[in-house]
Amino acid sequence: MNNSLFQLPNELVLTTLAQIFPCRDSQIRALATLLYPTAAPCQNLVLYGTEATGKTAITTALLEALENERAEDGPTIKSAIVNSIECITARHLFESIVSKVVHALRWESPPSRCETISQLMVELSKMLKYTPRPDNFHFVLVLDGIDRQRDMPATLLPALARLSETILCLTTVFIVTSPPANFLRTPFVAQIQFPNYTKPEFVAILATKTPPKLPTTTEEETVDLWTRFAGAVHDALARSAARTLPAFRHACTALWPRFTAPILAGTHGPREFSKLLVAARVHFQDERLLDPGIVAANTMIPHNSKLTNGNAEMVKNGGSLVKQPGTRDHQAVGTASDLAVLLPTTARLLLLAAYLASHNTTRHDLTLFSTHHHGRKRRRGGLSLGVGRGGRRSKHRKIARKLLGAHAFVLERMLAIFAAVRREWDAKGAAGGDAMDSDVGMAIATLASLRLLVRVGAGVAGADPMDRGGKWRVNIGWEMVRGLGRSIGVEVEEWLIE
Amino acid sequence: MAEVEEDPNAFAFQEDDHRGAYIFTASHPAENQAASAPQPSKRRRVSGKKRKSNMPDATPVGEELSDSDNGSGLFVSLFSGSESKEAIELRRRTFEKGWGDLLEGRIQRVLREANQNTLDEVGSFMWDAEAKLTADGEGASISKKIPAGFIITGPNIASQDLLFEQLAETLSDAKRAARVVRLRSAGAPNLKAALKKIINDATASLSERSEDDDIAEVSVGEDGRKHLNYDLEGLYAFLKARESRRVIIAFEDSEAFDSGLLTDLIVLFHSWQGRIQFSLLFGIATSVDLFQARLLKSTAQVLYGAQFDVVQADSVLESVFRSAVAGSQALLRLGPSLLQNLLERQKDQVAGIHVFISSLKYAYMCHFYANPLSVLLADDGLLDRKLLQPEHIEAIRSLGSFREHVEASVEARQLNHAQSLLDDDEYLISQILQQRQKRLDYLTELLRSLHLLTTTGLRPGSFTDLYVSALVNGVDLLSEDFSNVFDSARKLGPGEIISLITSLLNAIQAGSPDLDLQGWESDADELVTALSGIQDKVETLVTRAKQSGQPLKSKYSAQGKILRTTVVAQKVQLSHDSATLTDEDKAFTKAIDDLTELLSTNIYCPPANSLFLHEAWLYNSKSPYRDVFVPRPGTTFERALSRPHDYLNCSCCAKVDGTLAATMPTASILYHMYLETGSLVNVSDLWSAYYALVGDESDMGLDERSALFRFYRALAELRLMGFVKQSKKKADHVAKLKWL
Repeated sequence: MNNSLFQLPNELVLTTLAQIFPCRDSQIRALATLLYPTAAPCQNLVLYGTEATGKTAITTALLEALENERAEDGPTIKSAIVNSIECITARHLFESIVSKVVHALRWESPPSRCETISQLMVELSKMLKYTPRPDNFHFVLVLDGIDRQRDMPATLLPALARLSETILCLTTVFIVTSPPANFLRTPFVAQIQFPNYTKPEFVAILATKTPPKLPTTTEEETVDLWTRFAGAVHDALARSAARTLPAFRHACTALWPRFTAPILAGTHGPREFSKLLVAARVHFQDERLLDPGIVAANTMIPHNSKLTNGNAEMVKNGGSLVKQPGTRDHQAVGTASDLAVLLPTTARLLLLAAYLASHNTTRHDLTLFSTHHHGRKRRRGGLSLGVGRGGRRSKHRKIARKLLGAHAFVLERMLAIFAAVRREWDAKGAAGGDAMDSDVGMAIATLASLRLLVRVGAGVAGADPMDRGGKWRVNIGWEMVRGLGRSIGVEVEEWLIE
Repeated sequence: MAEVEEDPNAFAFQEDDHRGAYIFTASHPAENQAASAPQPSKRRRVSGKKRKSNMPDATPVGEELSDSDNGSGLFVSLFSGSESKEAIELRRRTFEKGWGDLLEGRIQRVLREANQNTLDEVGSFMWDAEAKLTADGEGASISKKIPAGFIITGPNIASQDLLFEQLAETLSDAKRAARVVRLRSAGAPNLKAALKKIINDATASLSERSEDDDIAEVSVGEDGRKHLNYDLEGLYAFLKARESRRVIIAFEDSEAFDSGLLTDLIVLFHSWQGRIQFSLLFGIATSVDLFQARLLKSTAQVLYGAQFDVVQADSVLESVFRSAVAGSQALLRLGPSLLQNLLERQKDQVAGIHVFISSLKYAYMCHFYANPLSVLLADDGLLDRKLLQPEHIEAIRSLGSFREHVEASVEARQLNHAQSLLDDDEYLISQILQQRQKRLDYLTELLRSLHLLTTTGLRPGSFTDLYVSALVNGVDLLSEDFSNVFDSARKLGPGEIISLITSLLNAIQAGSPDLDLQGWESDADELVTALSGIQDKVETLVTRAKQSGQPLKSKYSAQGKILRTTVVAQKVQLSHDSATLTDEDKAFTKAIDDLTELLSTNIYCPPANSLFLHEAWLYNSKSPYRDVFVPRPGTTFERALSRPHDYLNCSCCAKVDGTLAATMPTASILYHMYLETGSLVNVSDLWSAYYALVGDESDMGLDERSALFRFYRALAELRLMGFVKQSKKKADHVAKLKWL
């Protein structure tokens, strides 16, 4: 029976896997063929595809199934899977590989260390090549996410790909997101693509696990509704944003209770799909589904109300589902007021001074901050282009400086601005005196440690943080600065010159 | 230039660190007469730091720190060294009792209690999170999320050390068996270092408790392989051997961490999540949104977070203030202006509660170290007549409060009393010994008044402000400052009056545990009976008013006046009409008047500095505190350079008042010239200006070589102090660094 030269693994294994991982039948079969010793084992194999397309899961499950398949005098497969995200350095990767292989082979005398690729070669050869093995023994080494390995020397991947040239019974499987052309520097590498699922596939996968029956409907109706619902969610969300299977599934399960609420309330029947869809339209446009944020447990109420404001605005704007800057602004206003509460007065003044130093050019400093001329000529900020030109744009389109990134400034200049503005902005707190005392230094250090002010330029690590010639940059945006300014009664806009 | 800087003498300053200023005198033959004159000791600023402003003869001999054998440690003998050893020892012991025994522990307790709520919340979140995440169990992706607590600590991270210490204690208790690792950005600059620290700490915290033979397993796994010290596999093996899975990692100052590092760590923890149960804690100074904006979105989605707020710094400050500054246990009273300064600094500057506490301690230290009269604060049995030397008596006679007291008694025609105070030492001593009880009485009176006043809730503003103003102006409800108290009291309705009286009675009965104030019901019989009398009266009035169906009102309440409009011959006339008051209303008005009068007599306290001998227990000088806690090196340099005469006290520059003179030190001359230049200074011009001032043709008559030598040295000094730096723009120019 097993005399034939080409023999695939047991069909039962493959069909079981195909049931666990629906819509991946061809990939499973290709993988099995390319790994199975009596089929068409190859030396190196690249599996690629975007996130959450089943690369790792299928490989793991298939290898496990093949190892457990105990056909009489059939081939034996051993495998080791190394997740390179867990490996901090290349050495760490080598040690993990060795340790996994030792574990898989139940090797008696594990090597104490493995620091370089040559040592890895030696150790693997010792275990796989120079130990007598049965004819159809095969070892599969899976390097998961190897393209994200940290501290990876340029030669690492080609070197790993050549392991199997020496050790014939070894197949190295590289799982990557998208392989560059010829990244292994080997003439031929078998590649299996794991494409993202299409809409029918998504729906089919979701249909394998339907939610529990709704109390007012029949089982069949629920299944039917769930399938149509999944299609609708795919059209609304998955096509543009929630592109991966987990995100799509999460969106479906999160929306399902809201979507079916009218059925439970009895306003709509389970067959009235379009009416249900219209009723649940707001939820479909809710972007919190896509970006839930890191605070999940006890969300703050004011925060939520702000978000819903943002959503309402979005609905008005035509309900595009792409994340709009408007919502971020709403949040920024909230945080700015938080920050204004948290920071003491001096720190706020320093931040504002730093913002002015970052966003005004040096040549305007005299106009803005000099108290020599009393009738201070201060142009109001804001974009002043194309005024009265009949809509004709000048050749050089100017971009408002506050829309550009923050420029670097010298610490000394910022302190000069601070000294100039504090008397005007903070009439009562100026009693503390002096723009140079250690409290100011402490405030600057605090802001720097909060990354609200950032040191830029060469030698950041070793430089004295209080070096007054050092260059700095402010690290907060316009919205927050405006909020901060208002918290001490200053309109920052009046202090910005284009 | 470099040779001059490296003059070996320049390093001698380390021996003279304790002096306020050090004047460099090189043993160079070409010294001018100013520097070679005998060096005046820098007495002015040093003594200003340690002397109480109103006690001229309390100057300590700061430079002669004598490590005396009697165990008084660093407490020096005051009165120019004539203070007796017993008095010094008593001062020291009083300080140790007043600060160490009474206050330090209390403050720590208050701080720890303040965090309790946050601790409980974080703890319960941490334990619930795991259960919740698995219960959500829709898919593996959700249950593998990492629970993360975001603790909004406020910008002063240094002061949150205690919070994290407590967190570590609570979370790693024996029952839960979780390892807590505290990470600071300084200790974890990169991924490897962070992991090393995590693994070290997580394994060490357990091996402390268990036997030594367990430690070997830390680095060697089950298969005998050595793990790299940044390999979480090692931690996993270690935890597996102990059947524990939880590791809690606290990022104390998460803003200061590189965001790439955070992302790497979170991704790594996430990939281990099934095997090691990681939980994260982030100390966040600004806001969660800002923090989230720094993480990758895919990373952020791995976290399952909850936000916790630490008790606001204001309320912590208030409770520390209540127990340590205002409370009856506090031995030394801080004066109003110093307190105001401390409080403002808390509000305006980035200064945590710990700065406040150390300022407080410093005030105690200054007082007991430098004020010989602080012995008067010692306990009754310890202070006796023999201890008070003639110097003490003399010092007391020169106090401001002594003079006021004598003047007051002369005006009150107690001439004998005044005479004996001035002449009779024994009489004065007996008076002094009596003052102790008077001080305690005054404090009790002050605290009771304040407690009653805050209980009424009629005066807006925080307790701290109230306390400070009470020290300055006293508490007097009839004065301008407190006029709004009665205004709002009169507007109260009958129900509010009753509840006000009830809360007052409660306050008298219970006292205030924050302030360490016992209930004083037994002392205040009259007040209590009077209050309950008014209460009964108002209650009966209320019932009578109910029967008659008329609402009870007083003449002060707003409804007392009615505006009437009458239309007469097409004109509108407005007339005020006083609503008629019923007998009950009049009685109610009377009750309110009684109450306000009662309060004004019972809530009363004179200002603190009106008391005889308040200098012994009221510490009110700001400058030592400011010099130590808010130094101003820049200003000090500039002042010293612009007016060197104030420091050198040399005869040659006496006439110069802040202007340029050839006799001044060279660096100072150059500084004056520097002030007049633009942002780039031509060194050659500077030299010629300098040489014109001191050169052959001038009064100084220096030859070119020695003038050039001094010029170079001074320029190097300016560079060292950070005024100029080498410019890249022009070869022979230096760039000006200072703008202010």
